[in-house]
Amino acid sequence: MAEANLQKRKFFKLKPTKLNRSRAGNGLLFGLMIICGLFMVLPLVMIVNNALKPLDELFQFPPKIFVRNPTLESFSDLFVLMNDTWVPFSRYILNTLIITIGGTVGHVLVASLAAYPLAKHDFPGKKTLFRMVVLSMMFSWTVTQIPNYMIISWLHINNTYAALILPAWQFGMGLYLMKQFMEQLPDSLMESARLDGASEYSIFFKIVMPNVKPAWLTLAIFQFQQMWGNTGGMFLRNEELKPLQYALQQITAGGAARAGASAAVTFIIAAIPITFFLVCQSNILETMTTSGMKE
Amino acid sequence: MQKTEKKSIKKHKMTLSKKRSITGYLFIMPWLLGFLLFYVRSLYMTMEFSMSELIVPPGGGYSLSFVGFTNYIYAFFAHGSFVQVLATSVLNMMIDVPLIIFFSLFMALLLNKKFTGRTLVRAIFFLPVILNSGAIVDAMEMSRAMMAGGLSTVSAELTTSSSSVNVGYYIELFKNLAMPDILLDYIVAAVSRISEIITASGVQIIIFIAALQSIPGSMYEVAQIEGATGYETFWKVTFPMVMPHIITNVVYTVVDNFIDSEVVDLAFETAFTNYQYGLSSAMSLVSTVITCLILFIVVWFIQKKTFYYN
Repeated sequence: MAEANLQKRKFFKLKPTKLNRSRAGNGLLFGLMIICGLFMVLPLVMIVNNALKPLDELFQFPPKIFVRNPTLESFSDLFVLMNDTWVPFSRYILNTLIITIGGTVGHVLVASLAAYPLAKHDFPGKKTLFRMVVLSMMFSWTVTQIPNYMIISWLHINNTYAALILPAWQFGMGLYLMKQFMEQLPDSLMESARLDGASEYSIFFKIVMPNVKPAWLTLAIFQFQQMWGNTGGMFLRNEELKPLQYALQQITAGGAARAGASAAVTFIIAAIPITFFLVCQSNILETMTTSGMKE
Repeated sequence: MQKTEKKSIKKHKMTLSKKRSITGYLFIMPWLLGFLLFYVRSLYMTMEFSMSELIVPPGGGYSLSFVGFTNYIYAFFAHGSFVQVLATSVLNMMIDVPLIIFFSLFMALLLNKKFTGRTLVRAIFFLPVILNSGAIVDAMEMSRAMMAGGLSTVSAELTTSSSSVNVGYYIELFKNLAMPDILLDYIVAAVSRISEIITASGVQIIIFIAALQSIPGSMYEVAQIEGATGYETFWKVTFPMVMPHIITNVVYTVVDNFIDSEVVDLAFETAFTNYQYGLSSAMSLVSTVITCLILFIVVWFIQKKTFYYN
């Protein structure tokens, strides 16, 4: 709130000579932002409009971006289509939700837990461990597919949700991000909690985590995105375990006959991460890290 | 086992720092276990593969025969395109990373201001990341193909007509003005990649936004009271405070860039199209090590100049 007032003051209540320049600058910057933004929003506009188009408009030539007679035909098409398959559509949604929520919650928790001592404690082997994390991030999944598959089947978690969820907990990026943010917390904050007799666990959950809320909400956003995009690939063989993305691939592979249904699923798949993003972003507010401190 | 027993007996004699380091290990444990299991093991196996020839007999399973550094030597001195592709990937990375960092910091500063619909605008800049998943790309490609039936003929007509800007003329012009070729090449490469750079900076923007949100408001208040201008406030308050996250973003950008790079594609192709698993492992190890070296140098360099709040 303090910052909000400040921003207002900074831009609108300066001396009159400076006000003009600042306003013109702002106008220019926002103009630039709008141009960049328009390019990015175009695919989404297309997805939304395609989902609402009746079949004849989908194939219309010359193609129109905006829908003329919006219907929900494609969605009902989708459910009719999915009724015929032997795995109901809701099952795909459930699978995706289990994988995504399991992967996201677990990762945020495990990565934050590990990041706290890396940022705020001293112990032997800390630097080596941290270098290993950076190295592991470089190892792309496409290249290490074979060893990964062998490890997963060696653990006998092949063809279960765990094959996708467990490796996701250890992504290096989350640990790195959380560590960077926790390093910025003032030591005196934890010191005072320790003096008051708080255990490390309560320091972590009651002091550290609330103070790095922007960080873990950000981490949740992109972990959610990563898990949501998972097609299950080679690890899930049973049809009733496969996620939504896989269903979309199958429907799209059906070609022009399923164009409507495909447009509808694309919309559903794109809409949920966007909603999640909006919810998380509107919860990122300034934390009061130093408001309790007196030098 | 013995060690822990010993420790529990002598608990009252443990120093505070020892105690803390044990809690530290406890906190790291869940992560470390999985890390050893999934990542260190896979790294080790890749190393093993790169030093041997992998044969898959018709019946299934596989056998390894140790061949030493043959795969590495082959990749560097005999393979047709590996060195060249590696160099291109590293060069592209050098071009992209600083631009992505500057662009995303700039965008984050704009998106951090209070205005109506701020969250929505932030979402728009995150869209490329969301829409980048494989299945959505496929679906978009299909709907594009459906529209393109007639469109391709139109675009074919369009490309035959000359473009209005003569790029070559401008490049000549700047060359005559004695601009160094390297700088010119950099600018041309940067301009031609603008759209890629914008699409690749979604995550970086939200990391910077989180960083900006973590700056205590009282600092700005002090700056305001002391009469600092907006310019001074940025360089004296905002920039030092987001500095650690510039490192985070450099790391993320390099990793993200590397995973999509041509070297990785080449290694993938070598493994799954040509079935040369050993060679592919050697390639990916070499490129990983080189990228890591670059990363450590860059991070070390920035870290020297980084200010930590404590």
